[in-house]
Amino acid sequence: MQLIDIIIAVACSLIVLSVVVIAIINKMKGKTSCGCDCANCSGCKSCKNKTSKQNTANK
Amino acid sequence: MKRFALAGNPNCGKTTLFNCLTGSTAHVGNWPGVTVDKREGTYKKCAEPISIIDLPGIYSLSPYTPEEVISRNYILDEKPDCVINIVDATNLERNLYLTTQIMEMDVPMVIALNMMDMVEKQGDKIDEKELERRLGIPVVKISALKGTGLTELMEKAFETSSKERKGKTVLEGCEIYHLISDVRIALDGQNVANPLFHAIKLVENDEIEVQMHSTTIKMVDEFKQSFNNELFGTDFEALVADARYKYISKNYSPLMTKKEKGVKLSKSDKADKVLTNKWAGIPIFIVILFAIFHLTFSEDLFYLGSIFSLPTLEDLGVAENFGTALLACFYDGAIFSPGVILFNLMDLITSTVFGWITAGLESLGAAEWALSLIGDGILGGLGGVLSFVPQIIVLLLFLSILEDTGYMARVAFILDRIFRRFGVSGRAFIPMIMGFGCSIPAMVNTRTLADERERTLTLRTIPFFSCGAKLPILTAVAGAVAHILGAGDGSIISFLMYVVGMAVAIVSIILMRSTTQRGEVSPFIMELPAYHAPSFKGLMIHLWDKTKHYVKKVFTIILASTILVWFLSNFNWSWAMTGDINDSILASLGQFVQPLFTPLGFGSQLNAQGWVFVVAAVTGLIAKEEVIATFGTLAAIFATAAPEIAVEGATDVMTMVLGTGITWPALIAFIIFNMTTIPCFAAVAAAKGETPKGKFKWTLLFWVATSYIVSAISYTAITMFASWSLWSILATLGIIIVSVVAVLLIRNYNKKHPVKGVK
Repeated sequence: MQLIDIIIAVACSLIVLSVVVIAIINKMKGKTSCGCDCANCSGCKSCKNKTSKQNTANK
Repeated sequence: MKRFALAGNPNCGKTTLFNCLTGSTAHVGNWPGVTVDKREGTYKKCAEPISIIDLPGIYSLSPYTPEEVISRNYILDEKPDCVINIVDATNLERNLYLTTQIMEMDVPMVIALNMMDMVEKQGDKIDEKELERRLGIPVVKISALKGTGLTELMEKAFETSSKERKGKTVLEGCEIYHLISDVRIALDGQNVANPLFHAIKLVENDEIEVQMHSTTIKMVDEFKQSFNNELFGTDFEALVADARYKYISKNYSPLMTKKEKGVKLSKSDKADKVLTNKWAGIPIFIVILFAIFHLTFSEDLFYLGSIFSLPTLEDLGVAENFGTALLACFYDGAIFSPGVILFNLMDLITSTVFGWITAGLESLGAAEWALSLIGDGILGGLGGVLSFVPQIIVLLLFLSILEDTGYMARVAFILDRIFRRFGVSGRAFIPMIMGFGCSIPAMVNTRTLADERERTLTLRTIPFFSCGAKLPILTAVAGAVAHILGAGDGSIISFLMYVVGMAVAIVSIILMRSTTQRGEVSPFIMELPAYHAPSFKGLMIHLWDKTKHYVKKVFTIILASTILVWFLSNFNWSWAMTGDINDSILASLGQFVQPLFTPLGFGSQLNAQGWVFVVAAVTGLIAKEEVIATFGTLAAIFATAAPEIAVEGATDVMTMVLGTGITWPALIAFIIFNMTTIPCFAAVAAAKGETPKGKFKWTLLFWVATSYIVSAISYTAITMFASWSLWSILATLGIIIVSVVAVLLIRNYNKKHPVKGVK
């Protein structure tokens, strides 16, 4: 196996892993689920975690 | 950090001001109801940084819709240090109605007289010093659009925020003021914050207040029994509203001096005479919509190529080189539309760059599998999706122009007459047409609808209005349909597919309104904003945001998915590389599910590689762009494995599609299935957030059932009509009879079991 093959294999594996891990971390942090930028979204609160949703509902 | 809240009527310029103050790029539109949730930013030009909160627009503090509740609750419960009440100076009287309510709270406030540039342009004048004196609240003239008066506004707000302020009302001369006063004293005794505000709302019989103050309401009710106003009877809400307006028109309205204009109509009024005309309004809208799709998709701009039989580049005998390839992006037997030109240019760029990458890897001695992974898997998948980015931008640009000019609000108005017959108000049209851009903000926007059932059925039908991510599916598959039919240009098929999506939405609304979501249509009242030329900066910011989002998705989720698709289509269950893609893990999974899609035309009737449709449709549940990315990857693998099967004049994707033996009715069914089935994960999450608890499962079931049934009917009907026979006539008659019987049964049931009012 050439060096370039190893680089390609490692890079592709890292891409898949990082996309999955970042998605899981974002989900756990209650961050955006659509990939958009919350700062500019008029509906960003609807994607936030349950705590903030409940707070809004209680008010 | 101090917190200043921006509150005001819908479409008065709150978000424009928010963007100016905080440097944000929040979406701004020229119609009421763009902002449906509060958002925060920081203003840094005062003595200390200030948090600015942009609230959804409200006409009064008696909320009817979920986003209005957000604004009211924020001012009441979060206790901002200052409320900046933005007043549209061109509509002073109506905007001050909300001001008179915010004044009743114990909160520091400043009034920003916005759109002063418009007032001055019209030759009108407002005596803001006298207005400030009469209101007892600082008033600052501003223009959020031009950025004038903002520093003064913030300085005044900063100064006001450090002073305590007690609520005051304009209802002191009102005949029920002594009742308000008594209730206020009672609430004061209970240590209720903002007692004056709560007292007035209790007298108005505000639903939220009645629930909050169950003991005090008894006192109010006792008084009401002995009271009867000549004009309003015991409708205290109307009585209070009337008293407010009378006070405003007597004390505040005279401070605005209007220039004598006679009976001359404004430019907006003149435009509305045509655009919202009872007869011409809808045809004009259809023409505009068709023009947008034509300019985005057509490979024959204004049909000049067909009309004048223009020669192709081959007919002209042009030599094949890069210059010709560049020329072919603009013209080949017809002038292409701007959308197609940009698509071709992007395709040329991506294929050239990807060619260099593959050549570079070959020169570095990469193994065959690595070349396949990069060339077929990643570049094949990404290339397919990236080429469509410019076309999506063109479509979004046109839709943004419609929105920014104020035409969108007019369309909601003219469509109200039609939509009302189907069971929804014209207001529901706005989230629906927003769905052409992206389903997520469209679904969130449904909270501007007051009726819960109307909200539910609008939310369910939004995915039928094909979003930008579905555009590649439409264009690519419609191209294959046109190729089979020998029709040349697939743009008409793409346009028809959009129309089919809308038709499915209308039929679904009718069915839901007759069965699970029965109820009366809520009244539709919408302020029509003045027409204005769209801001170039605003349009560019909006397009940049959308493009950034799309490209980000391509290089994250879609990139990872194409690698997985390549892996699953090159390895078999023994975890060894397979030379035949039809023996891969992906093929076996696809073939396992494939029979389910037989009634839709892309199931068992296809040949060995027919599983690609099922796999593409399933990956589309992650993101709709995935359908074409999967096609791109698989087509590249097929093309590499068997280059001899390439169809002349067709792309790799088209060659693969045609190689499955699929018929054109099945391709139409495939498009319809992808357009109407469960949307992407993110849209599903947004829909879940907007659906009442426990009811989302029905929405999911609705999407699955609708897509399956509509696609199956489309496939069967088109196949039958394509080969017209006695059997097809009988089957058609059968379907009509069954439909008529079903409609009659539902009508009969609804007559016997009428629903009580609007929820």
